[in-house]
Amino acid sequence: MTTMKLNIKIYVPLLLSILIATTSCEKYLDSELNGRQSDAQFYQTAEDAELALTGIYNMLSFSESNNRLWVFGDVASDDAAKGGNAGDQADIGYIDDFNIAADNGNLEAVWAICYEGISRANKLLDNIDDISMDTERKNQIKGESKFLRAFYYYWLGVTWGSVPVHLTTPTPEEMQKAATPVDQLFENIIENDLKDAIASLPETFTGADLGRATKYAALGLLTKAYLFEEKWSEAEDAANQIVGQGLYFLNPLYRANFEFASKDNPEILFGVQHLSEQSPWLGNRLNQWFAPQAENGYGFNAPTQNFVDAFEVTGEGVVDPRLDYTVGRPGMPWFNDTILFDPEWSPTGYLNKKYIQPLEEVPVESKADGQLNYQFIRYADVLLMLAEALNEQGKSGEAVNYVNMVRKRARESYMFDDKLPGYPNIPNGLLSDIDDTGQSGVRNAIRQERRVELGFEFHRYFDIIRYGSEYANQAFDDKPNFNYETNKFMPIPQSELDTNFEL
Amino acid sequence: MKSVNVWFLYLFLLLMTIGLNSYSQTIKGTITDQSQFTLPGVSVYLEGTTIGTVSDFDGNYELITKEGDIITDSITVIYSFIGFKPQKFIYKANPSATITNNIILLDDIAALEEFVVVGYGVQRKSDVTGALSTIDPKGIVDMPLWNAEMGMQGKAAGVQVNQTTGAPGESIKVRIRGIGTINDNSPLYIVDGVPTKDISGIVNPEDIESMTVLKDAASAAIYGSRAGNGVIVIKTKRGSAGKTRMNYSGYVGLQQHGHITPMTNTDEYIKIYNEAAAADDRDPIPEDIYPQLSHTDWMEETFQSAMITNHQLTISGGNENSTYLIGGGYQMQEGIIYNSEYERVNFRMIVNSSIYKWLDIGTNLTLSYSDRDIIGGSGDGYGGNGGSVVRYALFRTPAIPVYESDGSYSDLPNFEGYDRAKLNNWFGDGYNPVGLANKYDWTTKVYRTFGNVYANFKILDGLSFRSEVGINLAVTDEKRFNETWGTDNRINSPNNLSKETGTNFTYNWTNTLVYNRTFSEKHKTTFLLGTEAIKNQSHFQSGTDRDFPDQSDYLRYLGNGLTLNKGADEGRDEWSLLSVFARVNYNYDNRYLIEGVVRFDGSSRFSSENQWGGFYSGSVGWNMKNENFLQDVRWLNQLKIRASIGQTGNQEIGLYNYLSIIGTGYNYPFGGTTNNGYAVSSMGDINTAWETTTTYDLGLDLAFLNDRLFVTSDYYWRYTTDMLIPVRLPQSGGSASPPWVNAGEVLNRGFEFQVIWQQKVKEFSYTINANFSTLHNEVLSISNGRPIAAGRVDAGANATLTEEGHPIGSFYMYEMEGIFQNELDIFSHAYQGPDIEPGDVMFKDQNQDGMIDENDRVHVASAIPNFMYGLTTDFSWKGFDLSLFFQGVSGNSIYVQVNQDIEGFYRGFNVTKRYYDDHWTEEGSTNETPRASWVGAANNKKVSSRFIEPGSYFRFKNVTLGYTFSMKESSAIQKLRVYVGVQNVFTVTKYPGLDPEMYNSDNLSGENVSNPDLASGIDWGTYPVPRIYTLGVNLNF
Repeated sequence: MTTMKLNIKIYVPLLLSILIATTSCEKYLDSELNGRQSDAQFYQTAEDAELALTGIYNMLSFSESNNRLWVFGDVASDDAAKGGNAGDQADIGYIDDFNIAADNGNLEAVWAICYEGISRANKLLDNIDDISMDTERKNQIKGESKFLRAFYYYWLGVTWGSVPVHLTTPTPEEMQKAATPVDQLFENIIENDLKDAIASLPETFTGADLGRATKYAALGLLTKAYLFEEKWSEAEDAANQIVGQGLYFLNPLYRANFEFASKDNPEILFGVQHLSEQSPWLGNRLNQWFAPQAENGYGFNAPTQNFVDAFEVTGEGVVDPRLDYTVGRPGMPWFNDTILFDPEWSPTGYLNKKYIQPLEEVPVESKADGQLNYQFIRYADVLLMLAEALNEQGKSGEAVNYVNMVRKRARESYMFDDKLPGYPNIPNGLLSDIDDTGQSGVRNAIRQERRVELGFEFHRYFDIIRYGSEYANQAFDDKPNFNYETNKFMPIPQSELDTNFEL
Repeated sequence: MKSVNVWFLYLFLLLMTIGLNSYSQTIKGTITDQSQFTLPGVSVYLEGTTIGTVSDFDGNYELITKEGDIITDSITVIYSFIGFKPQKFIYKANPSATITNNIILLDDIAALEEFVVVGYGVQRKSDVTGALSTIDPKGIVDMPLWNAEMGMQGKAAGVQVNQTTGAPGESIKVRIRGIGTINDNSPLYIVDGVPTKDISGIVNPEDIESMTVLKDAASAAIYGSRAGNGVIVIKTKRGSAGKTRMNYSGYVGLQQHGHITPMTNTDEYIKIYNEAAAADDRDPIPEDIYPQLSHTDWMEETFQSAMITNHQLTISGGNENSTYLIGGGYQMQEGIIYNSEYERVNFRMIVNSSIYKWLDIGTNLTLSYSDRDIIGGSGDGYGGNGGSVVRYALFRTPAIPVYESDGSYSDLPNFEGYDRAKLNNWFGDGYNPVGLANKYDWTTKVYRTFGNVYANFKILDGLSFRSEVGINLAVTDEKRFNETWGTDNRINSPNNLSKETGTNFTYNWTNTLVYNRTFSEKHKTTFLLGTEAIKNQSHFQSGTDRDFPDQSDYLRYLGNGLTLNKGADEGRDEWSLLSVFARVNYNYDNRYLIEGVVRFDGSSRFSSENQWGGFYSGSVGWNMKNENFLQDVRWLNQLKIRASIGQTGNQEIGLYNYLSIIGTGYNYPFGGTTNNGYAVSSMGDINTAWETTTTYDLGLDLAFLNDRLFVTSDYYWRYTTDMLIPVRLPQSGGSASPPWVNAGEVLNRGFEFQVIWQQKVKEFSYTINANFSTLHNEVLSISNGRPIAAGRVDAGANATLTEEGHPIGSFYMYEMEGIFQNELDIFSHAYQGPDIEPGDVMFKDQNQDGMIDENDRVHVASAIPNFMYGLTTDFSWKGFDLSLFFQGVSGNSIYVQVNQDIEGFYRGFNVTKRYYDDHWTEEGSTNETPRASWVGAANNKKVSSRFIEPGSYFRFKNVTLGYTFSMKESSAIQKLRVYVGVQNVFTVTKYPGLDPEMYNSDNLSGENVSNPDLASGIDWGTYPVPRIYTLGVNLNF
């Protein structure tokens, strides 16, 4: 009897464990995802579509110190040197010197940013058709996504030329992808995306939607793409659609574009938005990259003498006011009247002022959390692009008017900026209208105007390359390493070569 | 005739009985254990009967047999007590007198020499066929150790143990038989039956009764999918029956820093600065500023002498049916850098009870609380600790005072009459390390509950069933406040607070059925069958706040910041494992041994198609000494040959690897308001399955000269296949983190050797225990030929590359060839760049293409030692005991990242005295150290073999001298031992940095593959290990 009782006590737990082990197997190993979503659970609702769309915009931001567009647009050009401490960020210096190895960190940084933006756009575009929501907004979301995808491909195209293209989310196998030739990239990918965007985007976004890509942002970018492709008449058409509409005009005050209070204004077709005191960070780090060390900055992207010398000076020695809006130089006030620019702040003796805010707005302790936008396409740019498109088609007389509009605004700074000495009188002979109507003369005038008008807005290097080898070799005559054919486009990052064997 | 015989026999027996019945016999005495503790409650009974008695409170017994109890003239008495080996005595009947016999019972588990702990059980050592190392707990108790893991350092062949930094409470890195994978390489711990990957805070070194390292697959395979990196089985002490015992052990100690990197003083600094300024055409430091300058030795200012103390008290006892142990302890270690500290309180309770003859139950519970004050001791803050105190102690120029005249911590150099930009250039813009350390407000509190309950059923003779439930709960509470301070409030502005609490709960339910049977005397078999279910749930909540108008300590709580964007985050994860396993042992005549193990594991970490994996192992042993032909070889006590082969697994990848996960926080402002953005943050792969480790092991166990000399030696090959790797995908496919996939193979092989010599000469006895092991680590294939770069040491520059044909985390960089001595050298050498001047570093043109570029990088060294050793010697004479412990590694290298900055001219930072003395000044001055120049630094501080230093060291780790007072029996104190000790006595090394043993930093997080083994051996300026002087007491009463 004892043994029987004993056995029961033993077999009970035994049976129990076997029972539980066998019956709950399947369920036991299920582990539900909590607090997060998988991609299969996301992309279901209109809200999801908006969240995913904002995620694409997110990659535009200069909140990431990895966003190094300025290294290619400016430091690589004749406008700027690396700046900063001699030993700091040597990789940026290598780009300045055209000593560019595939493992240069700046290459991978920008490459990764653009492709992550593209990847987010692809994922939303893959899924949006299955989301049931308001059709109009759905089309706008598609348009915004395509604008952004085109934006990222544009940066890739002007920086690297031929690059791999994905228009849907690739599997790991599909990520092994050869490069699409640069002409096809622009013609088949960028143009198409922008045309779709133009068709579906509204003319304006206002209020809580301010900062989204509009039809005119897409037209502006399309104009840029056409210029790159040297499709002059298409560029003219696209630019004319903007100019003819009359929605945009030049601010009377040039510097209004680069000041916090007026960062959104009718000159801006598309600006990368920043906002301080956010978590995660949405402020503009360029404020710290470019500011002097004395203000807790690093002093990078320092203007060269060559750039400073590019600004016109009147016979009486009055310089184009855009110089002092763009560059901090010895003897001139640095953002307020009490502090003068100190040439010790920069190895070149100059610092760039765009994207820097005065300490009253952003104090030293939050230097990297700037509020200024990166003004990607301004109306002045559109006017100069239109001029270029016209001039290259031989319509030089017409072209020169648009150049003069830009010059007029610059010289009329003296009528609107009470800080300028001699205000409100325009100094004699300052930035007078161009009267040359020969194609070559106008071409030079446009190129000169673009350089000073759009200086330190990350366009210069790409303009130089676009103008061709003759212009480029002249611009880089002090850079012994420069070779137009090899430096026309940047080397594909080593990390990509190491992982994508189709390249 | 037959009937007569029967009659006579009957008569004889009757007479005998009558004769013996005529008296009773008394047997008495005192029962003690081996340490002379008296044992109450010992059963004393006549064999085969229930007639008997129990020893009293003082261990005395008196067995009086009554008439009829004894029917022969010999009396067989059994002395039996739980936890002790039963003793049998046969007394010759002597009715006329009382027999007195004092009994010493031997510990049952005494036999650590004879029995070793293996997976889910114990095994006779002579029957072991796998490769395992047991660690003598005595050596652990003698040293002022904080972690059970550190007790293994240098004590077991093939086991590498490193403290990751010298900071109090820092985690310990344990690697068994090399680095098998690029994911998790830490072993599995089994503490009193409960599996865990983290034993911090739950195992007191003093409480360890046995610690066994299961190294090969044959011994570890029973733990299956989590045993790929080896298993460490720890049993803690439990109570034993008898008089209540109290045991106190404690020590106090003083800690000081050891070797400190000599840096330049103010005069030397100015000299070298001005030399570089002259070379680069920069402004020198003007002479008229000299009177204002300080002479600060930042290293000395940053370190302090610090206290360490430890007190442990245990009380144990029990009777023949039940034993108990309760214990508690307190430990506190101040750091040798200000404001770093670790404190721990722990309680243990162990109860074991035999409630029926067929049922034992028990519980073992540990509660602990730890509080760690952390400073950013190491690393640079690439996603790591933030500003590092040690780095800035090295960087900061001696010209700056510790405090400003108003008593605040100095920050940016501040001398009258000079512009800030100039001062920053001259004296640097780094942080004040003393201020940095003291301003850190970073604490981690961990509350742990760990333990199990079990029931053991003895079903039949030799057949038993055990069921146990273990729990492992950790509640962590982490707070970090970054205070705003410094010049113009530039540091940590706005101030911010982050707070995180998390619970991590694991339970396991383990059932084992064991059957022991011996057939026809010579065939001994053991069968084990088991099931195990493990489930983990973790849950965290975190909050952030910033912009606190008042930074007082008592207001550093969430909600007091002014920001409108207070952050909150929450996450919950779970994983589970379900397993069935079996083991068969067969022993023929103690000569031939065979063992087979199989385990099937199901894991929630893989997609449902790949959830189940099988792991098998087999091993054989041959006890040659037991063969006839060796029976007569008297000097040989043991000769055993072992061989094993088997598989274990690894599943330590992130959870939900089979899903693509949506991340949040990819925000963007529209119309001046932040909009939330989501995007895929990690990609999934449903095809991923186990990583498998296959180990082949050949071993030899020898004992000679009356068991005075023991030798154990193993050779092993350990192959990791289907290695789990997050294979890097092209960034043109997006930057979401890639999924872990099975793609790689690694080989570790090595030789392990351990020799023990023990001898006793009269009152002098000594033991010498030495071990060494070799290691060869090689990646056989990886990521379909895509090497993995890691160890970011500079913007865009990695120090290691894990590539086929080389060790994991092998240093990959330019090779320094020398120093350009003159223009001709530069001209005749491969082109290295535009600004090269004499005095700059010359790199080797490996591919001989006349250009120095990234294709000239090669594998230059490895952080993995190829040879490790440990030596422990114990001497005792009368009451004295002396223990010496040495330990070392050899053949490894360290990349001294911090030297890129303090020998590489990065900014206005201090330089080492070594650089100052040795740098290039003119042709022929040196071929080792480049000239002083910031312009030259772009070339000279490139990631190259220039910064590789030898990591070999030989460390006199510990010396302890103790004296045990002899106590009178009547004394309340039964044992008193006092000891003094020194830990980290001295180190012999060529390594110039702070500490060759502490080189890990947490700069890895944020890298593609954030595994420390991919980039170990990189010294960012790490918190060094202190030298500790201790005075301690062991007291039994």
